[in-house]
Amino acid sequence: MRLLALLLFAPVLALAEPATVIRATELKREPATDSATVASLAENTAVEALERKSGWTRVKAGNDEGWVRMLALRFGGTTAAKPGASGLTQLFNVARTGTSGTQVTTGVRGLDAEQIAAAQPNPAELAKLEKFAADRNAAENFAAQGKLAARPVDYPK
Amino acid sequence: MKALFLLVALGFAASVHAQFRLPSIDINKMVDTVKNVGKAVKDIDEPEEIGIGKDVASRLLGAAPLVAHPGLQRYVNHVGRWLAAQTERPDLPWQFGVLESPNVNAFAVPGGTIFITKGLLDRMRNEAELAGVLGHEIVHVLRKHHLKAIQKGAQSALAGDAMSAALLDRAGPARDKLISFGTEMYSRGLDKSDEFEADRLGVVIAARAGYDAYGLPSVLQTLQAMNAQDSALALMFKTHPAPGERLDTLGEKMQPVLDAYSGQAQLAERFVRQVKR
Repeated sequence: MRLLALLLFAPVLALAEPATVIRATELKREPATDSATVASLAENTAVEALERKSGWTRVKAGNDEGWVRMLALRFGGTTAAKPGASGLTQLFNVARTGTSGTQVTTGVRGLDAEQIAAAQPNPAELAKLEKFAADRNAAENFAAQGKLAARPVDYPK
Repeated sequence: MKALFLLVALGFAASVHAQFRLPSIDINKMVDTVKNVGKAVKDIDEPEEIGIGKDVASRLLGAAPLVAHPGLQRYVNHVGRWLAAQTERPDLPWQFGVLESPNVNAFAVPGGTIFITKGLLDRMRNEAELAGVLGHEIVHVLRKHHLKAIQKGAQSALAGDAMSAALLDRAGPARDKLISFGTEMYSRGLDKSDEFEADRLGVVIAARAGYDAYGLPSVLQTLQAMNAQDSALALMFKTHPAPGERLDTLGEKMQPVLDAYSGQAQLAERFVRQVKR
């Protein structure tokens, strides 16, 4: 149960990662374009990403803290072995990724290029796959349980 | 025109055979062959698309089985089927499977079969992220990206009437070749433009289904933050544009849609309950 609670809060607490602003960006007080600007960040400013709320990420830039557009951020890409990561941070990383945010895994995976090329048919698993399929009614009930409502959205031109 | 030329050439060959009294050649069969060459360049119809998909799905399941967790499989099928219902092909035999592999990847198979690896699912935070990824894969099926690539490649791999033989005889050697070729597609990847299209339209499908449109970009950002040397990412990185490039492209083309539907449901709690146990 404690683990479940931790996992539930993981999205809020998980991020404390070094990132870079890929273009000149305004640091906003709230996650909204019409919110007050805390500071103007130049391209390539190093920040620390703390939390994400759909299209916005809360960051720390020097002494300032605020929200920038999520799409304006890129992470280091080489997150292996962050020195000084506390046990707590590592725990959050485990919660966030299911394994470890930084671990480089090796070994048999079943789905590398060679294994796909050499794969033989597996009719038993195919039968299971078909058994788990959901019909439209079941999907609609499921959506209603999650209070999901369909709406028309056009494909981009 | 090409078919006509081939007919004439075959007719000529047949008359040569007749002249030299070689074992008889069945001219009707030759005409059929020419017709079949014509059929091979035409569209594969929907039942054939579904049939090819089943055979390819069986092979992929031979590379990695389903996660032995019926509740999880049903959950992903519910999300996927709800998304598929918002598209122009709502009545395909859609089915979704979580593959037992630590690799980070997802696959769209012609005819409506979608796979996602446990490795990718484990790196997600909420149902909107899952919907973003499934939406991307659903677009590959809607737009027949893999089917077209398989068809294009198979025409050079399978000469002459072998393509139609592969469609007609599901137990024959030509079929085996076609399915092997179709399965290998997943280790080579699609055109970049297909991937970008799947990103753009996948975001729209997730938004139509009521999800936060930032689900897919969020997953891409997670991938972008991972160590690119991690072997769990090797095949996905080989077969897709870099996550940073995909984020750039989404930002350029989709910012208004992303923002208009950013306040929709994420359903983190339901996702965690179903996936993280």
